[in-house]
This record gives sequence, C-alpha cells and structure tokens, in this order.
Amino acid sequence: MEEHRKRHGRRMDYEERKRKRTAREAHKASADAQKIFGHKAKLHHAKRHAEKVQMKKTLKAHDERNVKQKDDGAVQEGALPAYLLDREGQKDAKALSTAVKDRRKDRAAKYSVPLPKVRGIAEEEMFKVIKTGKHKGKSWKRMVNKATFVGEGFTRKPVKLERFIRPMGLRMTKANVTHPELKTTFQLPILGVKKNPQSPLYTSLGVLTKGTILEVNVSELGMVTTGGKVVWSKYAQITNNPENDGCINSVLLV
Amino acid sequence: MSSVAGLQRITPVPTSADFIDVVLNATMRKTPTVIHKNFKISRIRNFYMRKVKFTQDTFDEKLGKIISEFPVLDNLHPFLSSLLNVLYDKNHYKLALGQINTARHLIAQVAKDYCRLLKFGDSLYRCKQLKKAALGRMATIMRRQKDPLAYLEQVRQHISRLPAIDPNTRTLLICGYPNVGKSSFVNKITRADVDVQPYAFTTKSLFVGHMDYKYLRWQVIDTPGVLDHPLEEMNTIEMQSITALAHLRSAVMYFMDLSEQCGYTIEAQCKLFHSIKPLFLNKPTLLVINKIDIVRLSDLSLENRAFVDTILADKSVTVVEASTYSEEGVMNVRNVACDALLAHRVEQKLKGSRIELVANKIHVAVPQKRDDVERKPFIPEAVKDRVKYDKNDPNRRKLQKDEEQEMELSGMGIYSADLKRDYMLADDSWKYDKIPEFLNGKNIADFIDPDIAEKLEALEREEEALEAQGFYESDESEMLDSDEEEFRDAADQIRKKKASIKKISQEKNHLQNRPIIPRKKRHVTLSEFTTGMRKSGHDPLVLEKRAARLVEKKKEAWEAAEAREAASGAGEMDVDMGGDDMDMASSAGASSSKKVKKGMAIDRAPRSNRQLAGLASYAQSDKANELRDFAQRLPNRLAKASESDRHIPITRPKWMLAGKRKGGKTDRR
Repeated sequence: MEEHRKRHGRRMDYEERKRKRTAREAHKASADAQKIFGHKAKLHHAKRHAEKVQMKKTLKAHDERNVKQKDDGAVQEGALPAYLLDREGQKDAKALSTAVKDRRKDRAAKYSVPLPKVRGIAEEEMFKVIKTGKHKGKSWKRMVNKATFVGEGFTRKPVKLERFIRPMGLRMTKANVTHPELKTTFQLPILGVKKNPQSPLYTSLGVLTKGTILEVNVSELGMVTTGGKVVWSKYAQITNNPENDGCINSVLLV
Repeated sequence: MSSVAGLQRITPVPTSADFIDVVLNATMRKTPTVIHKNFKISRIRNFYMRKVKFTQDTFDEKLGKIISEFPVLDNLHPFLSSLLNVLYDKNHYKLALGQINTARHLIAQVAKDYCRLLKFGDSLYRCKQLKKAALGRMATIMRRQKDPLAYLEQVRQHISRLPAIDPNTRTLLICGYPNVGKSSFVNKITRADVDVQPYAFTTKSLFVGHMDYKYLRWQVIDTPGVLDHPLEEMNTIEMQSITALAHLRSAVMYFMDLSEQCGYTIEAQCKLFHSIKPLFLNKPTLLVINKIDIVRLSDLSLENRAFVDTILADKSVTVVEASTYSEEGVMNVRNVACDALLAHRVEQKLKGSRIELVANKIHVAVPQKRDDVERKPFIPEAVKDRVKYDKNDPNRRKLQKDEEQEMELSGMGIYSADLKRDYMLADDSWKYDKIPEFLNGKNIADFIDPDIAEKLEALEREEEALEAQGFYESDESEMLDSDEEEFRDAADQIRKKKASIKKISQEKNHLQNRPIIPRKKRHVTLSEFTTGMRKSGHDPLVLEKRAARLVEKKKEAWEAAEAREAASGAGEMDVDMGGDDMDMASSAGASSSKKVKKGMAIDRAPRSNRQLAGLASYAQSDKANELRDFAQRLPNRLAKASESDRHIPITRPKWMLAGKRKGGKTDRR
C-alpha cells in the first residue's frame, strides 16, 4: 500500500473525505451507542464513562488554574505606590487548595491508626461446627472459616483433642504491605499475629481478619533504626477481608 | 497472501485489553449465570469454581495458541531463522514468547489457588468475592503482557508480508553496492515491480521476482545494497543481504558500476567484493558489469582495470556485461547465470550420496543370445522409402502449407484446410458424403451399429427361409373353437368379479374413518333389495307382493287426503300465497299440503329462508354476507372456534421465558 501511495499518490479528495469522516465520527459513535445492547453495551458505557470523567477532570484542572482568588489580606512589606494600594492581593487557587489539603492531612495523620474500628464477627461466622464421633449432638469441634496464620513448626494435635481446625487451604504466609509514606507495596512474609481486635482467642489462633495487627518481616526493605541497626520486623494492620480476597493487604505502622 | 515457505499463517494477536474483554466475555456467555443464595452451598461453590476454571482454560487456550503458532527460530531453515533474527532480534522475540508463557503459568496458578479457597467458601457473597478477585488477578496478569502482545502482533504482521522466498529452489541472488542497478535488473528479467530510485538504499528489504528459463521456474532475489564495513557495524537493511548471501544456495551476481555514477569508486566496489567473498564460497559467482551504455570494461583506465582484474584472478568468477538502461546484454547475463547455476546444481547432486540411490537403479539389459537368427527391427517399406522433407528441395512433398502459400501468392482468396481429403475409407467416393449429425431430433451417432450390414443380411436370409416354408400363409379357418371361447368367457367374468370385490373392499376401507350409516338405517330401494336377493339365490316374490300392497294402501290414503283438502282448505291458500314474497321456493302447494298430512312425518325443511328474513332485497343480503365474512376474518385467523371462543392457547411460551437471556428483550428474542 505504501508502495502504491508513493507511486500514484492519494486520490484527489482524500483530505476532504478524511475531514468529513472525522466530522461524522461523533454521530456514528452516538448511533452505535444507541444500537448496542447486552454485554457490549456495558463495556462500551463503562469505557465512555471513564473517558468522560477524565475529560471533566482535565477541564476542571484547567479552570482551577485560571481562576484568580482573593488573598487572605496579608499586606506586603514595604511601601506600595498609591495606584497599587486598592488592589487586593491575589493568589492562585490551586496552590492554596493543595496547601490546605496537605495541612489537613498532616493533622489527621498524627493521631490515626489506619483502621480504628472493626466490625464485630459472630462465632457462627467465624467457626463452622463439625460433628464427629458417636455422639453427634455434642459437636464440640470447630473449623476456622477465616484465613489464618500458622507458625512454621506447627504440628496438629491428635484428632480427639483438636478443638479448632485451621484448614490448610486458608493458611496464609505472606502479606502485601503498603508503606504509607513511600506509597509502595511489598509482599512480605508474616512472622506472627500480634493482635486480633475481635478477641484474644482469635489472636492465639492466628486468625487474620480486617483490622488485625500483624508482625511482618521487613528486612528486605532495609530499614534502619536511629541507632543504625537494621529493623527486622514491624507491625502492619490488615485492611481487607482476606477470606474474601484470597490475599492479605495491610498498611505498615510507622 | 502466501507467506514465506516454512512459515504458517498466524492468527492475529489481540491487544491485552481486547484479550481480557474477549476472555471475560466468553466466560459470561458460556457459563451459567443464575445463582441464588438459598441454593445448596456446594452448588454455589461449584458455580463459581466453574467460572474461575473456565476463565483460566480460555486464557490458557488462547495463550497456548499464540505460543504454538509463532515459529520456533531454531526449527526453521537457517536462512529464515537468521532473517527473522536480523529483522526482529532473536532475544527480544524469545523473551516476548517467554513472557507469554510465564503469564500462562501464573494464570494457572491463580486459578488453582482460588479454587482451593472457593472450597472453603461459606456464603454466596464470599464465593462471589473470591471469583471476582480471581478473575481480577488474571486480568491484571494479562494487562502486564501489553508490550509483549503488541510486539508479537507487529512481528506477525511483518512475517505475513515477508516475500515468499523458497530457500531450496533455483535462485539468482543479486548483490552489490547501493545504486548499481540491482533492482532495475530484477525489474527487467522478472515481473517483480521493485521500486527504483536514484538514491541509495531505495530497496530496504529482500524482494523476490520469478521467471522462466528452460521451462524451469527461477526465483530472483533482489537484496538491499551493502556497504564495505565490518559485519558488526552493518545495519538491519544490510544484514538482510548478508543473511541471504550466507544461507541461500544460489548463483550470486555481484553488480558493479564502472561509471562510478552510484557514488562509489571502482576500487571500493572491488574491495567490497573481496570482503564478502567468503560468502560466495561453493556458489557459482558472476561479476556483472552494469551500465555499459556509459562505460565498458574495455574503456577502463589501467589502474582501474587492475582492480577489476584482482577479482577476475579467481577463475571461478565469470564476468558479463549488461546495461539495464539500453537492455543490452541483460538476457545474456540471465542466461549465463542460470546455466552456471544449473551446471553447479547437477555437479553438487553428483557429488552427494543420494545420487547413488538413483544411479544404482539405472541398468541397460542385454539379453543373452539364444540362437543365430537375426532379429532386426521392423521398419515398414513405406517409411523406409519416405524421403526426408526438405524445404529447399524443389521436388519435395507438397504439404497443405505449400498449397496455402501458393493460393495466397496467386491471390485466389483464403485457403481453408481440407480435413476430409485424407480420410481412409473403403470407397474414395464416400469421402465427401454428407452425414447429418442429427436426424429427427436424434443423434445418429447413438444409433450406429458397426455390424448393421451383416445383421441386416442375416435377418433377410431368415425372412426368405420363413417365406419359403410358408410361415406367413394365413389360415382361413382360424376361429375360436367353442371350448376355448367358453373358457375365456369364464376367465373374463372371474376377472370382473374380482375387480368389483376389490373395488368394494377398497371403498369400505376408504370409509373406515368416517361416520358410516348403519345398515339398518340405510335407505335401500325395493329393486336393490330384490336384485340382491335374487343374486344370492333367494326368491323375493313374497316381499315384492307385500311391498306392492303397501304402496297401494299409501296411495289410497294420499288420494283421500287430497280430496279432503280440496274440499276444505281453499280459503287458507290466499293467505299463504301473500305471506312471503321472497320465499318462492317453498311454494304454496307445499305449505298447504303440510297441514293436510297430519298422520305422516313432518317435513323438516324450514318454511322460509331465515337468512333472508328482514332484508329488503338480494343486494342487501349480499352486503350482509360481505360484512359477516369481514367480521369473521380475525377470529378465523386466530383459529377461534366461534364468537364465544375466548381461549388463549399459551400464556407463558417457553421460548420466551425459559433459559438465558443474552440480548434483546422478552418480546423479540
């Protein structure tokens, strides 16, 4: 095709046709959008929506940059000529808003734990009753329904004595840990469960639910204490429901 | 478009976003979609596990297809493999395919993990979340494959547009400095339409042209120009030439431009020849001096001549001259090159071990002599005497061609060859007999029997013999004798009876599914009854007598009634007559007679045509009929039994309500 174009050139009305086609494009897209249905429509509308949001954002950003706003009235030092006296100080809104946001964020950060409150979890949800033995009515055995952390050297108790079963399928050994300041995420091995806010029993069982404080191995990150020692482990708080997501997301507590 | 020999067609590689859309869409279409939280938990788990597995399978299949379809460079012909290496960079190519493979494994791993987790799902919500997470992670893995997929798509497109070079056929390879006239030479000897421009590196890739020489197909490969520098410094364009030179078994034609119009000195051109000479090893090599319309080899100055002679010092190099501009010697160059290559190939084949396989089989048998009889080849006399046709001999045989020429010379008109002249028939006079192809609409060729004459003769002879015997003399007393006649008559009757029985039985069967009037109720006339009895051999005389008696009785009663009516009912008649002007059919006579026949069965026919009641004229009744028909059209169409039929056959048609709704609405699926 390129060869042909080079030899014979484009047709005479190429530019005109192209211009017209681009001009019609919006109409055609609209017609198509009205015609499609089903899954195609869903995908299309989702895409269109995202595009629109993006467009609006950029437009807004442009507007914000252009808007001028009153200054807080701080008088500049030094003498001003008379013709400038009645002028009010102005300042770009953008800069102001970001400054305010930053300040607010800083203040909040001082006292915040990532997840200060957690939802209570009932025992029925946490454990599945397992009926065993001759006397099925007793049902003393429980299986943990949530993700758990089990230490490396753990061996299960004999069947008759094991009250809580922590299934292999739900055992987790690694957590995605986000460093809140660096805004980066690492996958780190879990060392232990420091505290499950639901109950001390869950802490001892190593149940991982939302809001649980973990101890993670941060030696990979190469963090150093003020004394110059390498930090080996740090605490992190789980921010998701591991049993629903199949992974553990957490925030490092610094 | 056909692709390069040894490379199959590759299906297009979608972008990563498209890839995800296609797969997730397939999952949605091809797995069940209806699930409720009150279903059994195992069912819910299976439902979501199936979705996860299906998605993984689809990804696996599609990625596997990509991996298997792209050629493995190590398995290809060395020429193709190194050409692909030059064009796409082997490492990059392998890395991209490797990444796709890794993604495939990762996705499999994700599916495995999440299926395991799904086994512990205790609610629909949790299962659904897990499924969502699984598909999300698979999609993320795919999204990371954006670059490899884009690269592979580009490679695919480029591969499909590579020229179809067959590395094993007879090939002429044209190489040399840029701008020495390689492409114009290819354009001259083949139908390839390679772009020719007056600047260097017009040809940026390999081009293939095809031509015929000695009834064989040849491919001519036009390569981009090569500059004289070390292999490491060569760019992709030059490397393509080098690849072709290195791996194709072909005749190499090194083009030189002695006029130096290409911008490179003769010295430089000779140097290049020497530096790429190792690539010409074991190949017939030609030094083609191009542009001889400007400078010929003989016109060269001594020092330049010395440079060219360094090339010619090697005896294996043949020098030929041509000008693609004036087309002088172009065909000669081609012929020399082709001959050289053919000779070379035969030589190579003779050297190889495979020639033995064929050479062993060639054997000329010489039978042993068994006696002294000389067995000479048989040559017919006519052939022996035949003088060899010689155009210049004045006494030569006269051919039709000669006749044609004579005729043309004498200006007698157009000669038409006589096809019938050399027919070999029993009688020469038959030659020009006209035989119609079709006679009476039939192809006579279908009816030709080669032995027809003999057969006819035999038939005639037989006929004569029969006549002689007196076979055809007719016998006057040829009547049926009475015995035979009787016999035939009986047979005829039997046949008729049989036919009638058959007919009756068929009619009986024919009516099987219809209401049949029972025999008792059937109307049978007296004559039918009596003939039936007679036929079966009973005497119906008593019956007939009784019937006659009864008829007589009836008749008497009738007459009496008539007489009574005539006496009493004269006044009523007027009233009846004036009653219905339209009801002409039910005559006054009938109506009046009804009243009289009190003791008899009542006539059921209505007194008047009710359909016409209340209508002034026939036109009105027609109109009414028309309106009625119109009103009945819709109910008829809906197969309603009557006006009162309010039946709705199906309220909830299955096809509209059951199953999965993909697209559209409930009323138009």
